[in-house]
Amino acid sequence: MSGSLKLITLIEKHADPIAHSWAKDVRKNARTASYHDMPEEKLVPLAIRFYDNFRKMFYTDKPAETSREFFARYAEEQYTAKIPLHEAIYALILMRRHIWLYAEFQVIFITAVEQKYAVDSLVRTILMFDYAITFMSRRYQELIRGELNDRLALLNMIRLESPLGTRLTPYRTAIMTALLLGSFLLTYYYHAVMGSNVIFTHLFYIPVVLAGIWWKRKGVVMAAVLGIFLILSHLFFLGGTPLTDDIVRAVMFLVIGTVVAFLSEGITTAEEIYRLKAM
Amino acid sequence: MYMGMKLIDLVETHAEQIARQWAKNVRKNPFTPYYHGLPDEQLVPQAVVFYEKFRNLFMEPKPVEASEGYFARYAEESYRRGVPLHEALYALILMRRQIWLYAEFQVLFFTAVEQNLAVESITRTILMFDYAVYFISKKYGELMKLEWFEAPNT
Repeated sequence: MSGSLKLITLIEKHADPIAHSWAKDVRKNARTASYHDMPEEKLVPLAIRFYDNFRKMFYTDKPAETSREFFARYAEEQYTAKIPLHEAIYALILMRRHIWLYAEFQVIFITAVEQKYAVDSLVRTILMFDYAITFMSRRYQELIRGELNDRLALLNMIRLESPLGTRLTPYRTAIMTALLLGSFLLTYYYHAVMGSNVIFTHLFYIPVVLAGIWWKRKGVVMAAVLGIFLILSHLFFLGGTPLTDDIVRAVMFLVIGTVVAFLSEGITTAEEIYRLKAM
Repeated sequence: MYMGMKLIDLVETHAEQIARQWAKNVRKNPFTPYYHGLPDEQLVPQAVVFYEKFRNLFMEPKPVEASEGYFARYAEESYRRGVPLHEALYALILMRRQIWLYAEFQVLFFTAVEQNLAVESITRTILMFDYAVYFISKKYGELMKLEWFEAPNT
Protein backbone atom coordinates (compact mmCIF):
# COMPACT_ATOMS: atom_id res chain seq x y z
CA MET A 1 0.00 0.00 0.00
CA SER A 2 3.00 2.32 0.45
CA GLY A 3 3.30 2.68 -3.34
CA SER A 4 -0.32 3.79 -3.56
CA LEU A 5 0.24 6.11 -0.61
CA LYS A 6 3.06 7.71 -2.54
CA LEU A 7 0.77 8.29 -5.48
CA ILE A 8 -2.00 9.72 -3.34
CA THR A 9 0.37 12.02 -1.45
CA LEU A 10 1.68 13.23 -4.78
CA ILE A 11 -1.82 13.92 -6.08
CA GLU A 12 -2.84 15.77 -2.94
CA LYS A 13 0.35 17.77 -2.81
CA HIS A 14 0.29 18.66 -6.49
CA ALA A 15 -3.46 18.86 -7.08
CA ASP A 16 -3.18 22.40 -8.35
CA PRO A 17 -0.52 21.91 -11.07
CA ILE A 18 -2.12 18.62 -12.16
CA ALA A 19 -5.52 20.33 -12.40
CA HIS A 20 -4.00 23.17 -14.42
CA SER A 21 -2.34 20.83 -16.90
CA TRP A 22 -5.64 18.92 -17.19
CA ALA A 23 -7.56 22.16 -17.83
CA LYS A 24 -5.06 23.13 -20.54
CA ASP A 25 -5.43 19.73 -22.17
CA VAL A 26 -9.22 19.58 -22.01
CA ARG A 27 -9.45 23.07 -23.51
CA LYS A 28 -7.71 21.99 -26.68
CA ASN A 29 -8.38 18.25 -26.93
CA ALA A 30 -10.37 17.32 -30.04
CA ARG A 31 -12.60 14.99 -28.01
CA THR A 32 -13.64 17.60 -25.48
CA ALA A 33 -14.87 20.38 -27.75
CA SER A 34 -17.48 21.64 -25.28
CA TYR A 35 -14.72 22.58 -22.84
CA HIS A 36 -12.73 24.63 -25.33
CA ASP A 37 -14.41 27.91 -24.48
CA MET A 38 -14.52 27.40 -20.74
CA PRO A 39 -12.11 29.56 -18.79
CA GLU A 40 -9.41 27.83 -16.76
CA GLU A 41 -10.77 29.43 -13.58
CA LYS A 42 -13.93 27.42 -14.06
CA LEU A 43 -12.25 24.17 -15.00
CA VAL A 44 -9.43 23.98 -12.48
CA PRO A 45 -11.66 23.79 -9.35
CA LEU A 46 -13.51 20.90 -10.98
CA ALA A 47 -10.34 18.87 -11.26
CA ILE A 48 -9.05 19.97 -7.86
CA ARG A 49 -12.22 18.71 -6.22
CA PHE A 50 -11.75 15.37 -7.92
CA TYR A 51 -8.10 15.14 -6.89
CA ASP A 52 -9.02 16.14 -3.32
CA ASN A 53 -11.54 13.31 -3.17
CA PHE A 54 -9.16 10.84 -4.71
CA ARG A 55 -7.82 9.47 -1.39
CA LYS A 56 -11.31 8.84 -0.04
CA MET A 57 -12.38 6.95 -3.15
CA PHE A 58 -9.09 5.14 -3.51
CA TYR A 59 -8.89 3.72 0.00
CA THR A 60 -12.50 2.93 0.69
CA ASP A 61 -13.63 -0.65 1.35
CA LYS A 62 -16.76 0.09 -0.64
CA PRO A 63 -15.50 1.77 -3.81
CA ALA A 64 -18.85 1.52 -5.59
CA GLU A 65 -20.85 3.24 -2.86
CA THR A 66 -18.24 5.92 -2.19
CA SER A 67 -17.74 6.88 -5.81
CA ARG A 68 -21.44 6.71 -6.72
CA GLU A 69 -22.32 9.93 -4.92
CA PHE A 70 -19.31 11.85 -6.16
CA PHE A 71 -19.66 10.90 -9.80
CA ALA A 72 -23.42 11.28 -9.87
CA ARG A 73 -22.94 14.85 -8.68
CA TYR A 74 -20.16 15.37 -11.19
CA ALA A 75 -22.48 14.09 -13.93
CA GLU A 76 -25.24 16.48 -12.82
CA GLU A 77 -22.88 19.45 -13.01
CA GLN A 78 -21.63 18.48 -16.45
CA TYR A 79 -25.15 17.87 -17.67
CA THR A 80 -26.27 21.27 -16.41
CA ALA A 81 -23.28 22.82 -18.20
CA LYS A 82 -24.61 21.18 -21.43
CA ILE A 83 -21.60 18.91 -21.85
CA PRO A 84 -22.42 15.80 -23.91
CA LEU A 85 -21.88 12.55 -22.03
CA HIS A 86 -19.02 11.26 -24.18
CA GLU A 87 -17.12 14.50 -23.67
CA ALA A 88 -17.75 14.53 -19.92
CA ILE A 89 -16.46 10.96 -19.70
CA TYR A 90 -13.42 11.76 -21.80
CA ALA A 91 -12.64 14.78 -19.65
CA LEU A 92 -12.70 12.48 -16.64
CA ILE A 93 -10.44 10.00 -18.42
CA LEU A 94 -8.04 12.88 -19.02
CA MET A 95 -8.11 13.66 -15.29
CA ARG A 96 -6.87 10.14 -14.66
CA ARG A 97 -4.27 10.35 -17.41
CA HIS A 98 -2.90 13.56 -15.98
CA ILE A 99 -2.32 11.87 -12.66
CA TRP A 100 -0.22 9.30 -14.47
CA LEU A 101 1.56 11.79 -16.63
CA TYR A 102 2.48 13.69 -13.50
CA ALA A 103 3.34 10.52 -11.57
CA GLU A 104 5.57 9.39 -14.40
CA PHE A 105 7.10 12.80 -14.53
CA GLN A 106 7.83 12.66 -10.84
CA VAL A 107 9.25 9.13 -11.23
CA ILE A 108 7.61 7.82 -8.09
CA PHE A 109 7.67 4.20 -9.16
CA ILE A 110 11.32 3.78 -9.83
CA THR A 111 12.51 0.56 -8.22
CA ALA A 112 11.41 -2.97 -9.14
CA VAL A 113 9.39 -3.27 -5.93
CA GLU A 114 7.76 0.03 -6.65
CA GLN A 115 6.80 -1.25 -10.09
CA LYS A 116 4.73 -3.89 -8.32
CA TYR A 117 3.03 -1.15 -6.35
CA ALA A 118 2.50 0.69 -9.60
CA VAL A 119 0.48 -2.25 -10.90
CA ASP A 120 -1.64 -2.24 -7.73
CA SER A 121 -2.15 1.51 -7.98
CA LEU A 122 -3.10 1.27 -11.62
CA VAL A 123 -5.59 -1.51 -11.02
CA ARG A 124 -7.20 0.31 -8.10
CA THR A 125 -7.41 3.59 -9.99
CA ILE A 126 -8.94 1.82 -12.95
CA LEU A 127 -11.52 0.17 -10.71
CA MET A 128 -12.55 3.59 -9.45
CA PHE A 129 -12.89 4.88 -12.99
CA ASP A 130 -14.89 1.86 -14.08
CA TYR A 131 -17.47 2.82 -11.47
CA ALA A 132 -17.17 6.47 -12.44
CA ILE A 133 -18.06 5.73 -16.07
CA THR A 134 -20.97 3.53 -15.07
CA PHE A 135 -22.43 5.98 -12.56
CA MET A 136 -21.94 8.94 -14.84
CA SER A 137 -23.61 7.34 -17.84
CA ARG A 138 -26.48 6.12 -15.66
CA ARG A 139 -26.98 9.54 -14.08
CA TYR A 140 -26.87 11.27 -17.45
CA GLN A 141 -29.55 8.98 -18.78
CA GLU A 142 -31.69 9.60 -15.70
CA LEU A 143 -31.32 13.33 -16.25
CA ILE A 144 -32.17 13.04 -19.96
CA ARG A 145 -35.25 11.03 -19.04
CA GLY A 146 -36.23 13.60 -16.41
CA GLU A 147 -35.83 16.48 -18.85
CA LEU A 148 -37.83 14.59 -21.42
CA ASN A 149 -40.62 14.01 -18.94
CA ASP A 150 -40.63 17.72 -18.12
CA ARG A 151 -40.78 18.66 -21.78
CA LEU A 152 -43.63 16.25 -22.34
CA ALA A 153 -45.50 17.20 -19.17
CA LEU A 154 -48.34 19.04 -20.92
CA LEU A 155 -48.63 16.42 -23.62
CA ASN A 156 -48.67 13.67 -21.00
CA MET A 157 -51.49 15.46 -19.23
CA ILE A 158 -53.53 15.43 -22.44
CA ARG A 159 -52.58 11.81 -23.00
CA LEU A 160 -53.73 10.99 -19.47
CA GLU A 161 -50.46 9.23 -19.01
CA SER A 162 -47.51 9.34 -16.68
CA PRO A 163 -47.48 10.66 -14.03
CA LEU A 164 -51.26 11.02 -13.96
CA GLY A 165 -51.88 8.28 -16.47
CA THR A 166 -52.07 5.26 -14.22
CA ARG A 167 -55.08 6.67 -12.46
CA LEU A 168 -56.76 8.48 -15.36
CA THR A 169 -56.37 6.04 -18.24
CA PRO A 170 -59.72 4.29 -17.56
CA TYR A 171 -61.41 7.67 -17.94
CA ARG A 172 -60.40 7.84 -21.61
CA THR A 173 -63.29 5.64 -22.67
CA ALA A 174 -65.75 7.63 -20.58
CA ILE A 175 -64.51 10.96 -21.95
CA MET A 176 -64.54 9.67 -25.53
CA THR A 177 -68.07 8.25 -25.13
CA ALA A 178 -69.28 11.61 -23.84
CA LEU A 179 -67.57 13.45 -26.71
CA LEU A 180 -69.04 11.06 -29.28
CA LEU A 181 -72.52 11.42 -27.82
CA GLY A 182 -72.08 15.19 -27.80
CA SER A 183 -71.00 15.10 -31.47
CA PHE A 184 -74.01 12.95 -32.44
CA LEU A 185 -76.42 15.25 -30.61
CA LEU A 186 -74.84 18.32 -32.14
CA THR A 187 -75.11 16.82 -35.62
CA TYR A 188 -78.72 15.86 -35.01
CA TYR A 189 -79.54 19.32 -33.65
CA TYR A 190 -77.98 21.18 -36.59
CA HIS A 191 -79.12 18.81 -39.34
CA ALA A 192 -82.57 17.79 -38.08
CA VAL A 193 -83.70 20.75 -35.98
CA MET A 194 -81.91 23.72 -37.56
CA GLY A 195 -81.75 22.23 -41.06
CA SER A 196 -78.30 23.80 -41.36
CA ASN A 197 -74.84 22.65 -42.34
CA VAL A 198 -72.83 25.35 -40.55
CA ILE A 199 -69.30 24.83 -39.30
CA PHE A 200 -70.19 23.06 -36.03
CA THR A 201 -68.14 20.09 -37.29
CA HIS A 202 -64.93 21.89 -36.24
CA LEU A 203 -65.77 20.70 -32.74
CA PHE A 204 -65.43 17.11 -34.01
CA TYR A 205 -61.69 17.61 -34.16
CA ILE A 206 -61.57 17.39 -30.37
CA PRO A 207 -62.58 13.68 -30.24
CA VAL A 208 -60.64 12.99 -33.49
CA VAL A 209 -57.39 14.41 -32.08
CA LEU A 210 -57.85 12.90 -28.62
CA ALA A 211 -58.59 9.45 -30.09
CA GLY A 212 -55.43 9.68 -32.22
CA ILE A 213 -53.38 10.67 -29.18
CA TRP A 214 -54.82 8.01 -26.90
CA TRP A 215 -55.26 5.00 -29.16
CA LYS A 216 -52.97 5.90 -32.05
CA ARG A 217 -53.88 4.04 -35.28
CA LYS A 218 -56.87 2.40 -33.62
CA GLY A 219 -58.06 5.91 -32.81
CA VAL A 220 -58.55 6.60 -36.53
CA VAL A 221 -61.70 4.46 -36.20
CA MET A 222 -63.26 7.34 -34.21
CA ALA A 223 -62.56 9.72 -37.09
CA ALA A 224 -64.17 7.23 -39.49
CA VAL A 225 -67.22 6.79 -37.23
CA LEU A 226 -67.73 10.56 -36.97
CA GLY A 227 -67.26 11.03 -40.72
CA ILE A 228 -69.71 8.26 -41.60
CA PHE A 229 -72.23 9.57 -39.08
CA LEU A 230 -71.94 13.07 -40.52
CA ILE A 231 -72.52 11.84 -44.08
CA LEU A 232 -75.43 9.55 -43.08
CA SER A 233 -77.02 12.35 -41.07
CA HIS A 234 -76.64 14.69 -44.04
CA LEU A 235 -78.26 12.16 -46.40
CA PHE A 236 -81.07 11.56 -43.93
CA PHE A 237 -81.89 15.10 -42.84
CA LEU A 238 -80.45 17.35 -45.55
CA GLY A 239 -81.18 15.21 -48.57
CA GLY A 240 -81.72 18.08 -50.97
CA THR A 241 -78.45 19.94 -50.34
CA PRO A 242 -75.02 19.14 -51.85
CA LEU A 243 -73.03 16.52 -49.94
CA THR A 244 -69.58 17.70 -51.08
CA ASP A 245 -68.80 19.83 -48.00
CA ASP A 246 -69.51 17.02 -45.56
CA ILE A 247 -67.52 14.53 -47.63
CA VAL A 248 -64.55 16.92 -47.50
CA ARG A 249 -65.06 17.27 -43.73
CA ALA A 250 -65.19 13.49 -43.26
CA VAL A 251 -62.00 13.05 -45.29
CA MET A 252 -60.32 15.75 -43.20
CA PHE A 253 -61.30 13.91 -40.01
CA LEU A 254 -59.49 10.84 -41.36
CA VAL A 255 -56.44 12.84 -42.45
CA ILE A 256 -56.11 14.68 -39.14
CA GLY A 257 -56.82 11.51 -37.13
CA THR A 258 -54.13 9.61 -39.06
CA VAL A 259 -51.53 12.38 -38.73
CA VAL A 260 -52.15 12.68 -35.00
CA ALA A 261 -52.02 8.88 -34.62
CA PHE A 262 -48.63 8.71 -36.34
CA LEU A 263 -47.31 11.61 -34.27
CA SER A 264 -48.52 9.95 -31.10
CA GLU A 265 -46.89 6.68 -32.12
CA GLY A 266 -43.65 8.54 -32.78
CA ILE A 267 -43.71 10.13 -29.35
CA THR A 268 -44.44 6.80 -27.68
CA THR A 269 -41.60 5.12 -29.58
CA ALA A 270 -39.22 7.90 -28.62
CA GLU A 271 -40.29 7.62 -25.00
CA GLU A 272 -39.69 3.89 -25.07
CA ILE A 273 -36.25 4.47 -26.54
CA TYR A 274 -35.40 6.83 -23.73
CA ARG A 275 -36.97 4.71 -21.02
CA LEU A 276 -35.10 1.69 -22.34
CA LYS A 277 -31.80 3.30 -23.06
CA ALA A 278 -32.08 5.62 -20.12
CA MET A 279 -32.67 2.74 -17.91
CA MET B 1 6.10 -5.41 -26.27
CA TYR B 2 6.99 -8.98 -25.27
CA MET B 3 4.68 -8.99 -22.29
CA GLY B 4 1.94 -7.51 -24.41
CA MET B 5 2.42 -10.41 -26.80
CA LYS B 6 2.17 -12.84 -23.93
CA LEU B 7 -1.13 -11.29 -22.93
CA ILE B 8 -2.44 -11.28 -26.50
CA ASP B 9 -1.47 -14.91 -27.00
CA LEU B 10 -3.24 -15.81 -23.78
CA VAL B 11 -6.39 -13.98 -24.83
CA GLU B 12 -6.39 -15.55 -28.28
CA THR B 13 -5.72 -19.10 -27.21
CA HIS B 14 -8.22 -18.97 -24.35
CA ALA B 15 -10.83 -16.71 -25.94
CA GLU B 16 -13.59 -19.26 -25.46
CA GLN B 17 -12.84 -19.90 -21.74
CA ILE B 18 -12.48 -16.18 -20.96
CA ALA B 19 -15.70 -15.47 -22.86
CA ARG B 20 -17.55 -18.14 -20.85
CA GLN B 21 -16.31 -16.67 -17.58
CA TRP B 22 -17.38 -13.23 -18.75
CA ALA B 23 -20.82 -14.53 -19.69
CA LYS B 24 -21.17 -16.08 -16.24
CA ASN B 25 -20.14 -12.82 -14.62
CA VAL B 26 -22.33 -10.55 -16.73
CA ARG B 27 -25.35 -12.79 -16.13
CA LYS B 28 -25.23 -12.24 -12.39
CA ASN B 29 -23.54 -8.87 -11.98
CA PRO B 30 -25.89 -6.31 -10.38
CA PHE B 31 -24.63 -3.62 -12.78
CA THR B 32 -25.72 -5.57 -15.85
CA PRO B 33 -29.33 -6.70 -15.22
CA TYR B 34 -30.13 -6.60 -18.95
CA TYR B 35 -27.83 -9.58 -19.53
CA HIS B 36 -29.26 -11.69 -16.69
CA GLY B 37 -31.89 -13.34 -18.81
CA LEU B 38 -29.68 -13.99 -21.84
CA PRO B 39 -28.43 -17.50 -22.60
CA ASP B 40 -24.74 -18.37 -22.87
CA GLU B 41 -25.16 -19.14 -26.57
CA GLN B 42 -26.03 -15.51 -27.19
CA LEU B 43 -23.44 -13.98 -24.89
CA VAL B 44 -20.33 -16.09 -25.44
CA PRO B 45 -19.92 -15.43 -29.20
CA GLN B 46 -20.12 -11.69 -28.54
CA ALA B 47 -17.16 -11.86 -26.16
CA VAL B 48 -15.26 -14.34 -28.33
CA VAL B 49 -15.41 -11.88 -31.24
CA PHE B 50 -14.01 -9.17 -28.99
CA TYR B 51 -11.19 -11.36 -27.66
CA GLU B 52 -10.31 -12.44 -31.18
CA LYS B 53 -10.17 -8.78 -32.24
CA PHE B 54 -8.05 -7.97 -29.22
CA ARG B 55 -4.72 -8.50 -31.03
CA ASN B 56 -5.63 -6.09 -33.82
CA LEU B 57 -6.82 -3.44 -31.41
CA PHE B 58 -3.89 -3.91 -29.07
CA MET B 59 -1.12 -3.92 -31.67
CA GLU B 60 -2.58 -1.25 -33.89
CA PRO B 61 -0.15 1.67 -34.44
CA LYS B 62 -3.18 3.94 -34.78
CA PRO B 63 -5.38 2.73 -31.91
CA VAL B 64 -7.95 5.52 -32.26
CA GLU B 65 -8.86 4.81 -35.87
CA ALA B 66 -8.79 1.06 -35.38
CA SER B 67 -11.03 1.05 -32.34
CA GLU B 68 -13.54 3.63 -33.56
CA GLY B 69 -15.12 1.37 -36.18
CA TYR B 70 -15.19 -1.69 -33.97
CA PHE B 71 -16.67 -0.01 -30.88
CA ALA B 72 -19.14 2.06 -32.88
CA ARG B 73 -20.44 -1.24 -34.24
CA TYR B 74 -20.54 -2.70 -30.72
CA ALA B 75 -22.56 0.35 -29.63
CA GLU B 76 -24.93 0.02 -32.56
CA GLU B 77 -25.59 -3.67 -31.91
CA SER B 78 -26.12 -3.07 -28.19
CA TYR B 79 -28.40 -0.15 -28.91
CA ARG B 80 -30.51 -2.13 -31.38
CA ARG B 81 -30.87 -4.91 -28.85
CA GLY B 82 -32.09 -2.36 -26.30
CA VAL B 83 -29.13 -2.57 -23.90
CA PRO B 84 -28.99 0.54 -21.71
CA LEU B 85 -25.79 2.54 -22.27
CA HIS B 86 -24.32 2.11 -18.81
CA GLU B 87 -24.86 -1.63 -18.98
CA ALA B 88 -23.25 -1.89 -22.42
CA LEU B 89 -20.26 0.01 -21.03
CA TYR B 90 -20.05 -2.06 -17.88
CA ALA B 91 -20.30 -5.31 -19.85
CA LEU B 92 -17.30 -4.16 -21.87
CA ILE B 93 -15.44 -3.21 -18.70
CA LEU B 94 -16.12 -6.72 -17.44
CA MET B 95 -14.65 -8.13 -20.67
CA ARG B 96 -11.45 -6.28 -19.88
CA ARG B 97 -11.46 -7.36 -16.23
CA GLN B 98 -11.99 -10.94 -17.25
CA ILE B 99 -8.77 -10.81 -19.26
CA TRP B 100 -6.89 -9.61 -16.22
CA LEU B 101 -8.48 -12.12 -13.90
CA TYR B 102 -7.53 -14.87 -16.32
CA ALA B 103 -3.99 -13.52 -16.72
CA GLU B 104 -3.62 -13.35 -12.94
CA PHE B 105 -4.97 -16.86 -12.59
CA GLN B 106 -2.44 -18.06 -15.17
CA VAL B 107 0.32 -16.23 -13.23
CA LEU B 108 1.27 -14.41 -16.39
CA PHE B 109 3.16 -11.62 -14.69
CA PHE B 110 5.31 -13.37 -12.14
CA THR B 111 8.83 -11.96 -12.00
CA ALA B 112 9.83 -8.40 -11.13
CA VAL B 113 10.72 -7.71 -14.76
CA GLU B 114 7.38 -9.05 -15.83
CA GLN B 115 5.68 -6.78 -13.30
CA ASN B 116 7.38 -3.88 -14.98
CA LEU B 117 6.12 -5.00 -18.35
CA ALA B 118 2.70 -5.62 -16.86
CA VAL B 119 2.39 -1.88 -16.24
CA GLU B 120 2.94 -1.34 -19.94
CA SER B 121 0.36 -3.97 -20.83
CA ILE B 122 -2.23 -2.50 -18.48
CA THR B 123 -1.61 1.01 -19.75
CA ARG B 124 -2.06 -0.06 -23.36
CA THR B 125 -5.22 -2.02 -22.60
CA ILE B 126 -6.63 0.91 -20.64
CA LEU B 127 -5.86 3.27 -23.50
CA MET B 128 -7.86 1.03 -25.81
CA PHE B 129 -10.76 0.98 -23.37
CA ASP B 130 -10.66 4.73 -22.89
CA TYR B 131 -11.33 5.08 -26.60
CA ALA B 132 -13.94 2.33 -26.43
CA VAL B 133 -15.93 4.14 -23.73
CA TYR B 134 -15.69 7.40 -25.63
CA PHE B 135 -16.79 5.93 -28.95
CA ILE B 136 -19.60 3.86 -27.47
CA SER B 137 -21.14 6.73 -25.50
CA LYS B 138 -20.76 9.01 -28.52
CA LYS B 139 -22.44 6.50 -30.83
CA TYR B 140 -25.31 5.97 -28.39
CA GLY B 141 -25.89 9.72 -28.32
CA GLU B 142 -25.90 9.88 -32.12
CA LEU B 143 -28.32 6.95 -32.40
CA MET B 144 -30.69 8.52 -29.92
CA LYS B 145 -30.64 11.72 -31.94
CA LEU B 146 -31.35 9.82 -35.13
CA GLU B 147 -34.28 7.98 -33.65
CA TRP B 148 -36.08 11.03 -32.48
CA PHE B 149 -35.83 14.78 -32.16
CA GLU B 150 -32.62 16.05 -30.68
CA ALA B 151 -32.25 14.44 -27.30
CA PRO B 152 -31.59 16.73 -24.39
CA ASN B 153 -27.85 17.10 -23.95
CA THR B 154 -26.55 14.07 -25.79
